[in-house]
Amino acid sequence: MNERNMLLSRIKKYDFTLKELNLYLDTHPNCRRALAMFRKYKELRSDAVEEFTKRFGPITPEQVSDTQNWTWVEDPWPWERR
Amino acid sequence: MNLDLFDDMEGIILHEREASLVSDMKNNNGNGSMTRFPKNTPLAMAYVPFQQWGETYGDDEALSRGTLFPELDLPFSKGGADR
Repeated sequence: MNERNMLLSRIKKYDFTLKELNLYLDTHPNCRRALAMFRKYKELRSDAVEEFTKRFGPITPEQVSDTQNWTWVEDPWPWERR
Repeated sequence: MNLDLFDDMEGIILHEREASLVSDMKNNNGNGSMTRFPKNTPLAMAYVPFQQWGETYGDDEALSRGTLFPELDLPFSKGGADR
């Protein structure tokens, strides 16, 4: 697996863990351990997303920060397997 | 035969069940210590245990198992429970 795919798959794992914690917290809103874990994974995810967008471009259109180019349409798309 | 009696019974059971759930929720007081089952469990009602915080998988395993919680990792395979 190349670095781009490895980074994407890390983001996918963080997203899944965050969704699981989200569902748990919906029914256990005062669980401090779940809250701490949510906070930790939120940070891991945002670091990974930042690294990804810096190196490989935006994952979603609103992450385009280039003032000269609409980099969103540059290949490959985030969901493309290469 | 007095059918009113049956109507009342139903009302009583529902009321009892509701009261036990409400009192459990009140006792919970937002400190996150809901027990696995309500204190009172009237007969003939089905209960689902309330999940308690326990072990968690790593993010890698969680995605491949389809759940973050080993407790909830219950793959249903053909052949039934005693396969």
